Order: sequence, then C-alpha cells, then structure tokens
Amino acid sequence: MFRIIRKSLATGIVTGQYPASHATQEPVTPEAIEKAKPFRRSLTIREVDTGSCNACEMEMNALANPVYDVERFGVHIAASPRHTDALVVTGPVTVNMERALKDVYKQTPDPKLVIALGDCAINCGVFKGSYAVTGPVERHIPVDVRIAGCPPRPAEILAVLDRLRGARADAKK
Amino acid sequence: MNDGSAAVERIRGAFALAITDIGAVYGVPMLRVRKQDVPAVARYIHTDPHVRGSLSLLWAVDHRPREARYELCYLFTLAERKDWLLLSVDLTGGEREFLSITPMVHAAKWYEREIRDLFGLIPVGHPDLRRLVRHEHWPKGSHPLKKDFVWDQVLERVQGEYVFRKIHGDGVFEIPVGPIHAGIIEPGHFRFSVAGEPILQLEVRHFWKHRGVEKLFEQQRLTEAVPLAERVSGDTSVGHSLAYCQAVETLLGVTVPPRARYLRSIFLELERLHNHIGDVGAICNDTAYALAHAHCGRMKEQLMQLNDRLTGSRFLRGVNRVGGVSRDLSGAQLSQVEEELQAIEQEFTGIEHILFANASLTERLENTGVLSEGIAWDHAVMGVVGRASGIDRDLRRDRPFAAYRECPPRVAVYRYGDVRARMRVRLDEVHDSIRLIQTLRRQVPMGPLSTQAVEASMPGQWAIAAVEGWRGEILYVVMAGEEGRIHRCKVRDPSFVHWPAIQWAALGNIVPDFPLINKSFNLSYAGNDL
Repeated sequence: MFRIIRKSLATGIVTGQYPASHATQEPVTPEAIEKAKPFRRSLTIREVDTGSCNACEMEMNALANPVYDVERFGVHIAASPRHTDALVVTGPVTVNMERALKDVYKQTPDPKLVIALGDCAINCGVFKGSYAVTGPVERHIPVDVRIAGCPPRPAEILAVLDRLRGARADAKK
Repeated sequence: MNDGSAAVERIRGAFALAITDIGAVYGVPMLRVRKQDVPAVARYIHTDPHVRGSLSLLWAVDHRPREARYELCYLFTLAERKDWLLLSVDLTGGEREFLSITPMVHAAKWYEREIRDLFGLIPVGHPDLRRLVRHEHWPKGSHPLKKDFVWDQVLERVQGEYVFRKIHGDGVFEIPVGPIHAGIIEPGHFRFSVAGEPILQLEVRHFWKHRGVEKLFEQQRLTEAVPLAERVSGDTSVGHSLAYCQAVETLLGVTVPPRARYLRSIFLELERLHNHIGDVGAICNDTAYALAHAHCGRMKEQLMQLNDRLTGSRFLRGVNRVGGVSRDLSGAQLSQVEEELQAIEQEFTGIEHILFANASLTERLENTGVLSEGIAWDHAVMGVVGRASGIDRDLRRDRPFAAYRECPPRVAVYRYGDVRARMRVRLDEVHDSIRLIQTLRRQVPMGPLSTQAVEASMPGQWAIAAVEGWRGEILYVVMAGEEGRIHRCKVRDPSFVHWPAIQWAALGNIVPDFPLINKSFNLSYAGNDL
C-alpha cells in the first residue's frame, strides 16, 4: 500500500503535460455549436469504428489517460449508443459495417451530434475508391463536426471539443 | 542463412513422384508439387519428427493476364532451425478446386477460406466452407482478388444469412457481442455459447473492417505503396512498412545502408515499447485495476510524445521508405531517447513491483485463458502469444533483419499459456526493448540514410519478407507486375493466425474473463480484416 502511495506522490499531477495543438482544423460551424448547447457541461460520447486502421481509436483512448483526462471537461465515454449525446465515427465506412453504422445512428436518441474523426471518416483516406469501402461517413449519416488528421493528435481532438463546448479562451481548464 | 536443404532431401526421398520441380525464391527452397499430392506432402512436413514444419502462410496468386493460371503457395517454417520451405501448386485450364490441407494442418483453416472468398478457388475437404471475408450480403461470384474484378466497383447488396455453429442442450444459450463493442475498440463479433457463466464455445466472426487492402496494393507502384502499408494496422505502422520495404528491396536488389538498418531497428523497438506498456495497463484495466492502467497510460503517452518529437508522428509514420529510412536521428535526439528510456525503465520497474505484490490481480491473471502448447503448435501460433505458450520463435533472432544480427534480442519464453504468462512476456520484452535501443544507439554507424531504389520491370518475380512486429511475425509477399507496378501483395498480420486460437483459449473460462483474455492477446482487427 505504501509503495503505491509513494509512487503516486512521486509521480505528481501529469494532467495537461502535452504540447499545445498547432494543426489547423476546419472551424466548427455555428449550427454544430448551437446543437451542442445542451451538452456544454456534460457530453457523453460513443465511438463507432467503421473500418479504421485503429490509430484513431488509440488516440481516442489516449483522451481518457491521465495526461489528457477528457472527463475533467465533462466529456464522458459511454458503453452504449442508447446513453450517448454524440457519436464519434472513425473509418471509411466499409461494406460490412454500413448496416451497423446506420443501426447505431437510429439507436442513439435525439438530440444527438455526429463527429467524424480522422481523414478516413471525412474522405476515406488511402482507402478511397476500394470496392470494400462505401464512402465517407456523411454519405450515410449527417455529420456535424469533422476532425481531420491521420490520426489527429489527442490535443487536436480536445481543441475541437473545446470549441464545440464553447469554452472561452480565458476559461480555467 | 537457414536453407532447409536437409528437409528438402527428406521430402524428395519420401515423395519422389509428387515433386515435379525444385527451385528457389531468393534462397528459400521451393518444391513444385502435383495437385493431388499436396495434402500428403503437407502432412509429412507437419508431422514428421525430423521436419516438423508449421504453416506460416498460404496464399493464392492470379497470374492472368500474363499467364492463364492460378498458383497456390504454402510457406512452412521448420521447427529446428526456423528454415523456410515453399510448396507451389498450379491450377490451370479453368480448374477451381484444390485439395484442402486443413484436416492435417489446422493452421490452414482460415487461409483456405480466405482464398475461397477472394479467388473463388474451392478447398475440397475443408471442414468449414462458410464465407469468411465476404459477409452474407455480398453477391455470389464476387471474388475481389481475381484479375477481372474491377478494384473500384460498387458492390450490390443481396439477402443472405451467416449460420453460426450452435450448441444444443438444456440451459445452453448464446451471447452475441459486437460488432460494435462497449469500449473504444475495433469492430468484431464474438458469439459465446454458455451454460451459466462458463463458456462452452466461442465463435469469432470478423472481417467487418475489410477495406480491400490487397487489391489497393495492386493499384500502386512498388516504390510508392509504403503509406498504404503503414495504415494496414495503425498501431503497427513501423512493422508493416518495414516488412513491405524489405520485400521490395529484395525484389529490386537494393542494399539498405547500415545506418538505416540500425535506425529501423530503433524505430521498431520504440513501437514495441509503447504498445507493450499500453497493453500491460489495459490488461490490468480489464481486472478493474485502474491504478496500473493510469500509470501505464501515462508512460505510454510519454513515449508517444517522444515519438512525435523525434519523427513528427506519434505512431512513427513516414520513417520507412524503400531503400532505407527517410528520417535521421541526430546525436542529440539519440541522447534524449537514452535519457527518457532510462527514466521510463526505472518507473516501469516500480510499477512491476506493485503489480506482482497484488494478490487479487494475480488471482485473476493466473490460469485464465490458457492456450496450451499443443494447440498453439497445431495452429502455428507465434509472437507474444506463442512465446507465452512455450513456442520459442522470434524472427529477430531466427531470421535476423535490420540490425538484429549485430544486436540480437533476448527471447522470453513462458510455458503456462495463461494471461499472466502473456503479461510476463510483455514485461520482459519491455526491458529487453529498452536494452536493445540503448545498445543500438551506442553502435549506430554513420552513413547514408537510404539507397536509391531503381524501378525495374520484372513481372512475375516475387519475394517474401518477415518482420517480428510487436504482436508477432508480419509476412509480406510482394510480386512485381508490369513497369514497376505491384501484381500481388499478400499481407499477413500475426492477428490472422491468432484470432482462431483465441477461440480455444476462451473455453472453460467464465464470460467476465473474456475481455481479460481478449486484452491479453490484444489482436488487431484491422490487420486481420485487411
């Protein structure tokens, strides 16, 4: 027990120890910010992978690590689409996942947002044109926010989520 | 170099008539076998105590339009000195059937189903002829890797049904999980047949993420397909791109300069390091031990930020190119790496002490998800999962590539095959990776970063490359087409071999232990599905 406590005290607080994001992202549209208004202080997200290479998932998992700690912004990751406010979709929608994506969209209760994460979700990335890929996410379900990158860094994802939450620049993080 | 010539002599002695020709592909002996004799030869290679070959790869090639034939190739790794041996069979004149070797060599089961789905060639005698890659809504006759299948066509959807294996009995019910899972993880379907909590049967059904990677490779040039290789399995960008580059370098006769070989090893070890540390944390997380998950997550984040500072990519993307590496690591950067890794090693050792002192964690990990050595051998399991079940194979030591001949690894092998053994292998490999990076960095020679690769037109020639990625053996077979293009690229991530094995490891365990078992294997869905 003491070993654990000593370790925690020695480690200290690591939250926030990441370089600021410099990548330019597409601005979040006013419609999306309006839609996200009810979720400003509490946004529950569910991740749906429709065929990504897994790097986007790893960056999303990184959001939950002690360094990025997305929960401090009121963003919570849910296990079921029934409990979510926003669907984060990654991957070029493959022919085998098309039905599952549409089902999840229907199962998520309104009001909801859809965030397309990564280049594959936005324009199919290197898989564009393949017989096994049906097209970007917006071909199947309406997309409110796009976060580009292959994969986008967790800091970049946080920056877009900040804008969505309408976080003021001088607000305490 | 291991050359398997003793084994070739034995097989030639036992099957004089069956073998029509003996050749070699860049040093790997290749036997051309008569179609009807393949199962007998395969059984001999697999079971004869002096040969003991395990099937590493089985793939098909559509040689049209150049030649009107399909070719099936079988790659065996012989147990004693890890030599390679190839068998090759031709299917000509519109023949669509070939004899299945799955009843004798179980490792062939998914390869043959994959060939059936992608080429329309039917393995006669295969115990399970259900569709694997193509889900039930794909139209009949759509076989993507045939040369007359247009790569960017739009597939129509038809009605179909996939029949799961059922277990009947009082109190037996099915639990379907997926394709979308509760965590932030890739899609795949698991169907458990349970009686209460203990799992009677697990059926794994994947290929939800099939993106048509092998067909996409065929649309690219040999020297330009590295970005695609990096995105086959996103957490193994270095491993896959390295295997691809090595295959093309063998084909084009390019010698990679020494500095590039050392840097490639350093990048591969950096990739192994952050993935293993993340995995140890994730295994603990699945036993609800959040403290270890938090510490490992923090260390993994440090390593990924280090990767970003060194190469501009947290996943080390863009470092490999055909002919060498495209990024250098300066003396200052290498010193920075050494310092950071020393700190991480100390921290990680502290976490290990905390883990081993925790009795309730050990209780969950011990005897859970046991994959016995016998089953592991039968299914050609290797890599981290194999080494935890007594299969002593590591390509860095057995078939050295990059700078591993000069700096060999220390291979960790455990016998129990449970979750704890798989975690122990990872813990040992973390320390060994750090040791390797420190050694490599001290010995890295000065010199050019890459050799210019001159494209040549060599249609029909092909080469195999193998890399020990952090999960296990990654194999790439690259066949050149006309004018520097790719005719066929067979990609095999170790996950393709291990997904069927997880069905065995789960038997008898309780359902709540399955996420733990799954995490201890930590297989790639994307690398499997292609």
